Amino acid sequence: MKVSFKVNGAAQSVDVAAEMPLLWVLRDHLGLTGTKYGCGIAQCGACTVHLDGQAVRACQVQAQELEGAEVLTIEGLGRPEALHAVQDAWVEHQVAQCGYCQSGQIMQAAALLDLNPAPSDDEIDAAMSGNLCRCGTYPRIRAAIHAAAQKLEG
Amino acid sequence: MSRLTRLTRRAFILGSVTVTGGVAFGVYALNREPENPLAEDLPPEAVSFNPWIRIADGRITLIAPHTDLGQGIRHMQAALIAEELDVDLDQPELVIETGPPAAAYANRALADEGLPFMTQDMTPLAEISRDVAGRLMGALGLQGTGGSSSVPDSYEKLRQAGAMARETLKLAAARAHGVAVEELRTERGAVHLPDGRALPYVELAELAAELRPRYDVPLRDPGQWRILGKPMQRLDVLAKSTGTLTYGIDLRLPGMVHAAVRLNPRPGGVLEAHDDSAARALPGVERVLPVTGGLAVIASDTWTAFKGAEALECTWGPAAFPAEQADHWQALSDALDAPPEKVWRDEGDAESRATGWPMEYRAPYLAHAPLEPIGALIKVTADRCDIWVAHQFPGMAQQMVAEITGLPLEAVHLHNQYAGGSFGHRLEFENVTRAAEIGTALRGTPVKLTYSREEDMAHDFPRQIAMARAQGTILGGEVEALDLSIAAPSVTASQMSRIGLSVPGPDSQIVAGAWSMPYAIPALRVTAHRAPDLAPISSWRSVGASHAGFFAESALDELIHEGQADPLLERLRLCNYAPARACLEAVAEMCSWGEPLPEGRGRGVAMVMSFGTPVAEVIEVEDTPAGLRMTNAWVAADVGRVLDPVNIENLIQGGVVFGLGHAINSEITYADGMAQQTNYHAHAGLRLYQCPPIHVRVLETGPKVRGIGEPPVPPAAPALANAIFAATGRRLREMPFDKFVTFA
Amino acid sequence: MSQAITRRAGLGLAALLCALAPLSLALGPAGAETSGPEISFEIPEPGSVPPTLGAEAFERIYEVVSHPRCANCHVGEDNRPMWSGPSYGAPRPHGMNITAGESRIGAETLLCSTCHRTNGDFDTDPHAPPRAGLDWRLPPVEFQWFDRSAAQVCAQLSDPERTGGRDWVELARHLTEDAGHRGFVLWGWNPGGNREPAPYSLQTHVEDILTWGAAGMPCPES
Repeated sequence: MKVSFKVNGAAQSVDVAAEMPLLWVLRDHLGLTGTKYGCGIAQCGACTVHLDGQAVRACQVQAQELEGAEVLTIEGLGRPEALHAVQDAWVEHQVAQCGYCQSGQIMQAAALLDLNPAPSDDEIDAAMSGNLCRCGTYPRIRAAIHAAAQKLEG
Repeated sequence: MSRLTRLTRRAFILGSVTVTGGVAFGVYALNREPENPLAEDLPPEAVSFNPWIRIADGRITLIAPHTDLGQGIRHMQAALIAEELDVDLDQPELVIETGPPAAAYANRALADEGLPFMTQDMTPLAEISRDVAGRLMGALGLQGTGGSSSVPDSYEKLRQAGAMARETLKLAAARAHGVAVEELRTERGAVHLPDGRALPYVELAELAAELRPRYDVPLRDPGQWRILGKPMQRLDVLAKSTGTLTYGIDLRLPGMVHAAVRLNPRPGGVLEAHDDSAARALPGVERVLPVTGGLAVIASDTWTAFKGAEALECTWGPAAFPAEQADHWQALSDALDAPPEKVWRDEGDAESRATGWPMEYRAPYLAHAPLEPIGALIKVTADRCDIWVAHQFPGMAQQMVAEITGLPLEAVHLHNQYAGGSFGHRLEFENVTRAAEIGTALRGTPVKLTYSREEDMAHDFPRQIAMARAQGTILGGEVEALDLSIAAPSVTASQMSRIGLSVPGPDSQIVAGAWSMPYAIPALRVTAHRAPDLAPISSWRSVGASHAGFFAESALDELIHEGQADPLLERLRLCNYAPARACLEAVAEMCSWGEPLPEGRGRGVAMVMSFGTPVAEVIEVEDTPAGLRMTNAWVAADVGRVLDPVNIENLIQGGVVFGLGHAINSEITYADGMAQQTNYHAHAGLRLYQCPPIHVRVLETGPKVRGIGEPPVPPAAPALANAIFAATGRRLREMPFDKFVTFA
Repeated sequence: MSQAITRRAGLGLAALLCALAPLSLALGPAGAETSGPEISFEIPEPGSVPPTLGAEAFERIYEVVSHPRCANCHVGEDNRPMWSGPSYGAPRPHGMNITAGESRIGAETLLCSTCHRTNGDFDTDPHAPPRAGLDWRLPPVEFQWFDRSAAQVCAQLSDPERTGGRDWVELARHLTEDAGHRGFVLWGWNPGGNREPAPYSLQTHVEDILTWGAAGMPCPES
C-alpha cells in the first residue's frame, strides 16, 4: 500500500506491505539507519522514535498506521553540529559504549523530558526500563538524563 | 596462504593451553618482523614508518587493528599512537582506520593469561614463557581481539610506533633545514623549527620516506603525557549519540539485496527436507538458497527476508548433542565423579584436610546476545570479494571467505566495522561463512545478511555450563582448607573444533579465575573435571572466570561465614598478592565496610582475578516486600595504569551490570535440542530500574598494564549471592538466582 | 505514584492532557481491520433460568475472567499489569518495570501505546506486545480480577458501583460493543503470537453472562 507521512519534517511517500513495521520502512526504504533493529518484538527499545510527539517502538508500528503521521527519528532530533540537549548530555557524560542502543535510549529520554521536565530517579526507572543496554551504561544514562533536564530548564 | 594456515593451527594449540611446542618455530620465526601491509602501493611522496602509521595525500592515517566492540579500543589505539606522534585526535588531516587483516597486527598479549602460570607468578620461568608465548603469537600472525588483551598488547607497541615516526619526521626536518634534531619540537602534527616555523608532517612525508626510520626511541614518562591518563572524548561518542555511526547492519551498496537465514534450531543439525513455496510466494522474496545447516532467503528488504524465512516449511535433523537439559547437568555431575583432568593447584593436602561443609554450585549456559544481531555485507565478483563485518578474528574470517569463494586470500578484502556489542559472539564465524556462501551464489550482486534476533539467539554458541563441588575446613574461625572441583566442557576445544582444530591438553578455562586465587589458605586444591562436549559453546565475556569465579568466591564466603569471621577481613587476612589486597582494602574503605546497615540490608564481597586484573566488588541488597533490590555497588580494580579514567569507569560499571544481570535472570536451556529462550523477553540481563549506583575506583599499583573489558564481570555474581545471604540468610548456589528468589 | 501525579500537576496538568489527547484521537485506527464480528444475543426473561444453571454459567465466566488473557490487565491499585500463563511459570509483574500509573495508560510512566499499538490486526509475532483496536490500557481498578476469588469477582460483577453502572444486560452489551471495535475482549479469544486464548468463546461468554443474570446472578461462596 502507498502511505504518505512526514519524517523529520520532510514529506515521504512509500509503497510497501501494509504490515511492514515503521522500523524497516525507515531503515531499508528511507535509508535512515540511526533507528536500530535489536529484537523486533518491543523488548529492547533500540528502534524508539517519536510518532506524533510520543515515543513508540518503530518495530510495532505498521505502515498502515502511518498515513498523515509525523515521525521524528534520532537523525531529526539533533545533528552532530546542532545537538539536542539530551544528545549534548549523552556526549558530555560519555554514555555510549557500543552505542547500538543509544538512539533508542536518547529518543525515549527526550520523550520523557517532553512530558516531565525534571524526572526523579524513580520516574526515570519507570520510563527507561523498556530500553535495554547490553553494555550496561545505565548509570551514565541516568546521570545524562538529569543533566539534560538541567540543560533544558537552564 | 597455506603456510599461514599451518602456522595459525599450531598457534592455537600453543596459545590456549601450553607453550611447550614453542621452540619448534625457532628463533628466526619468533623474531621475524612481519611485513608492513601499509607499505604496499605506497606512492613515492608518501611514507609508512610501521604498520600503524601512514602519511600520504595530505593525510595522516593511524591504524587501529583491534576490533571495537564497544570498549572504545579504536579510540584508545589512536590515542596511544597520537601521544608519542604528537598529533591531536581532532586534527582534520587525521584518519583512523582498522586497516586490513594482517600478520603485522598479531596480538602478542592474547596468550599471556592462558598459560599454566598464575597471574601473581612473576618467576623467571613464568615471565620467559609469557615472552615466548607473545613472540609466538607474533610469529603466527594471529590478529585477534579478546581476552582483555587489547591494551596490554597495544600499550608499548603503539606508543613506540608513534615515537619512531615522530623522531624520523624530526630527522627529515633537521636534514631539510640544517638544524640539529635536538632543537626541534613537535606539536599538533607538525615539526616546529627554532625560528617558529611549523612544518606539517604531511609535507615532510616524502623526505622522511627516504630516511632509515629511528628505532629504539625512548618512550615518554607518563608524567609527560598530554592525552593518555586524562579524561578523553571518545572519537565515536558524537556519532553514537546522533545515530550517525554506521554499523555493519546499516551499510548499503547500490543494487544490494537483503538476506535472512533459517537454520536448524538444533545447533549442528541438518536440514532434512523443506518446502519453500510459501516463502517464494511472498511479494519481494527473490530466491531461496541452501546454506550450511539451513536456508537463506533473498529479498528486497530485511523485513521481507525475515518473513520469507519464517514462511519456510522445514524438517530438521536432530542436534549433535544431548537434546534435554537434564542430560547436560548429568554429564557434569558424572565428570565430577570421575578423576580430574588436571589438578591445577594443590597446596597443603587439601584432599584429606577439606572434609566439611559439602557444597554444590551450578552456572547455566548463557547467550552473548549483543544488541546488533550478527550479519555481514558481502560482494563477491569473479576476481574479488569485499566483506564488511565486525569480527574479532578478521584474518581468520578472511581465510574462511577465501576458501568458500574460491578466491586467493589477497583478493578478499575484509573491512572491519564498529560492532554493536559482542561479548564474544563475534569470535564466531557462522555469519561470515553463511554470507560467503550466499555471496558466492549471487556472484556480482552485493548482499546484506542480517540474522533475526531469534536466529541469532538460537545459534549463539552460549557460555559453557559448569558445576562445582567444594568442601572445606574451619579451624579456630579461620579458613583452613578448601577443595574445589569444577566440571565444565572445554570452551577452548569447542571453539577450536569449529575451525577444524583439536586441543589435546587441559583447558585452563575450566578453572580460570579460581585456581590462581591469591589466598594463602593452608590447604587449597583446585581441580578441573573436563566434561564431554555438549552444546557448542564459546567465549562469553570473562570466559571461564564467569563460572569459576562464582564457585570459588561463593565457597570461600560460605566457609568464612561458617567460621563466623568477617567476609572482607578474612579475605584480607588470606590475600597474599598486593594488587588484589589493595582492591579489597579500597572497596572496604569506599563502602565503609562494617558500619551498621539499616534493617533488611546486607552486603557481600567478592574478589576475582581474571586476565591478570584483580577486581573486588561489594554489592548491597535490600529485602523489600516486593523482593530483593540491589541498592549499591562498589568496585575497585587494579589495571596498573589508567589510560582514560572516564572510559574505564564506564567499562567497569558495564561489566558489573553484565555480571549482575545474567546472574539474576538469564540462562539458556535446551529442550528437544533447541534453546528455549528465543529473544530478550526470556534472556534480558539487567534493566535500568534494577541497576544500583556503581561506585568505581581504579588503582595503579600492579606491575603490568592490564585490560578491563572482562575482569569486572566475574566478581559480580558471587558478591551478589554473598549479599543475599547476608540480607536474608539464604545461600544461592545456582544461577540464575530468580529461580529461587524474587527481585523487585 | 500519587506523588508523581501531584508533581506533574504542579508542572501543569496541560502537559498531561496534551500527552493523552493524541490517544483519544487515535480511536478508529488506520489498521486494516477496524471492525469486529457482530455478536448477537437474546436477552432471557429475568428469573427464567434456574439458579443451578446460572451457577454453572458463572463457573465458566470465572474461568474466562481469571484467565491470563483477561486477568493480566485487570489488576489492582498498584497499577502493575502481570505476565502469567503457560509460558511464564509463576505469575510475575510485566517485565521492564511497567507501571500504568493512576491514569491506567502509563501517562505518568511509560505510555502503554509505546509498545501496544492501537491496531485491530491481532496477529503479532510471538512474544511481541499484543495490540487491539482500542487504545491499550488497564481497566478501572474496581474491575480487579487478578488474584481475586470467584466469590470476589462475582460480587464485583453484581455491583453496579463496580461495573461502571452496568447491570448484567449492559455487561453483555458492553462485551459485544468492544468486539465491534476489535477491542480487548475480542482480542482475549484471538490473542495472536502463539498466546493461549481465553477458554470457550466470546459468544459463549456473552450467553453465560445473560444466563447468570437471568438466573438472579447467583454467586459462589468462595
